[in-house]
Amino acid sequence: MKKQLALYILLLLTATATYAQEQDTKKLSFRDRMEHRIIAGFNFGGTTPVPLPNTIRKIEGYWPAFAPTLGYEATYYFQPKWGVSAGVSLELKGMSVKDSVLYFPTIMNVTEGGQTGYFEGTFTGHNKTKIRNTYITIPVAAVFKPNNNWRFRMGGYMAWLLNGHFDGDVSDGYIRNGGPTGEKIIVDQATFDFADDLRRFDMGLQGGAERRVGKHLSVQANLSWGLRSIFPSDFKGMDFPMYNIYVMLGVNYRI
Amino acid sequence: MKLKKLSILACFIPLLHACIKDTPLNPEADITSFTIDSADATSEVFIDQANSRILLYLTNDAYEAGITPEITITEGATISPASGQKIDFSSGAITYVVTSQSKAYQKSYTIEVVSTGDWKFDFEDWAENERDKYQYPVEEDGSILWSSGNPGTALAGLPKRNDAYPLRATTDAKFGSQAAELLTIKGTALSSLLGIKLFAGSLFLGVFDSQNALIEPLKATKFGQPLTKGRPASFSGYYKYTPGAVYQDKQGNAIPGKTDECSIYAILYTGSERLDATNIKTSDRIIARAIVADGTAKEAYTRFEIPFVYEKAIQPNESLMVAIVASSSKDGDAYIGAIGSRLVVDSLQINMKETK
Repeated sequence: MKKQLALYILLLLTATATYAQEQDTKKLSFRDRMEHRIIAGFNFGGTTPVPLPNTIRKIEGYWPAFAPTLGYEATYYFQPKWGVSAGVSLELKGMSVKDSVLYFPTIMNVTEGGQTGYFEGTFTGHNKTKIRNTYITIPVAAVFKPNNNWRFRMGGYMAWLLNGHFDGDVSDGYIRNGGPTGEKIIVDQATFDFADDLRRFDMGLQGGAERRVGKHLSVQANLSWGLRSIFPSDFKGMDFPMYNIYVMLGVNYRI
Repeated sequence: MKLKKLSILACFIPLLHACIKDTPLNPEADITSFTIDSADATSEVFIDQANSRILLYLTNDAYEAGITPEITITEGATISPASGQKIDFSSGAITYVVTSQSKAYQKSYTIEVVSTGDWKFDFEDWAENERDKYQYPVEEDGSILWSSGNPGTALAGLPKRNDAYPLRATTDAKFGSQAAELLTIKGTALSSLLGIKLFAGSLFLGVFDSQNALIEPLKATKFGQPLTKGRPASFSGYYKYTPGAVYQDKQGNAIPGKTDECSIYAILYTGSERLDATNIKTSDRIIARAIVADGTAKEAYTRFEIPFVYEKAIQPNESLMVAIVASSSKDGDAYIGAIGSRLVVDSLQINMKETK
């Protein structure tokens, strides 16, 4: 499914490019067809299940992380209004969230001296999760530039995790050993850390718009929507997939 | 027009947070309390949630006549037979079935009338917890008198195999075919989040109250069974002990030159409410103690018989409890000891005074 989507994006890009090429009648040099930009901004958003499962009862607090992004992007125009872009950026995606959960299933694998055990249970209480993930991201997109002031982009991205943090604590609640009919164990506070379970590769859709505000400078907003859960499917710390969904607000400078 | 596009994009995130779904129906199905007339009981009712059992300590009269319990259950759940319905023990096993509000889960509790019998324990019969696979001794008549830290260590994510737990049956017996083996084991990645680097093997007369296992583990181990007849004179049995190689402190640092010791003792105390690991040695309810003083290595089975040392007299008609507690690491309650320390006990016995 996800592979198909990626393929679809690629086809779309190629189709656009080919179409654009056919439309192209002017003879511009390669240099004239290229644009280079340095991008800087901040990511706001969440790493979240879509939709929220019914075991999450209330979002009690949400704090975007200090999540800067810095990148470079090159655009090649096949004709004045259409082009393709690719880039590379170093970005942080993160947030902190506090929520209350009810009968929330979790399985924690425990490996000790080559032996693997696990703890399985359902938790009711409060949860605080802090996510700080640093990625090297390669975005590719089709670019539409209706005039000199606006630019729109639609495409996909691939991202490699450089450094991941996914930890937090549960408090003021109870966990049931094995599931809803297991014995109830009161939890006043316990910590968890799932950083080692994070997937190293993320990919998804991304697109955005930018408005020129100076000779070289533009402001931009860009949504990236992960299509691959940040945890592998055999990870059962949470019984749902979680996706990176972030909006980057920032500026770019055309070199 | 173009601004509209931007605002559509920006709308996605708040939308996500707006979609909290309806509350799920309660999937839990607990008996939360089981109350009987205190005149019928020799000790408090204990609901063993981990093994879905209700342990009753009844007077002979109550056992003959039957009891009428008042039962409370998880909100929204239903129970059969109903609370307030009389049960008697002439017609065999009694099982209560609780069905959750969501109807997706059922929990069956069996009623066990516990009889302390003759206070001679040979650890010949063992049962296994269904989910976590740890073992616990059972008496010949099916009574469950002994417990251990096993239900607590199960929460640390040990492999679900009976020999992965600190208390298990062994064929290395003095009498019969089985004995109780207590082994101090390494903590897990999960338990070290709570600062627990080792689990000592433990075995005690009493119950394990899972509810407190994480917040106050020393209150989870509740020691003692009711003494309905006789006066303890001495505590006897057989043990052998091999201390583990490296003695470690709570943080898991090796302490050179120190050797682990085991701990075996019996306590007689007053009241029907159980003492726990926080007060079993200090409570002013203690009447008499019998402590095995030598906790050092014993290669072969070694017999002990320790007289109860009375600190005060027993009052007429007072409720009494007797606890036997054994651990493969003397300071295991503080998570200090040596991984690999192994204590084997067999034929533990409380010998009563000759009645005149």
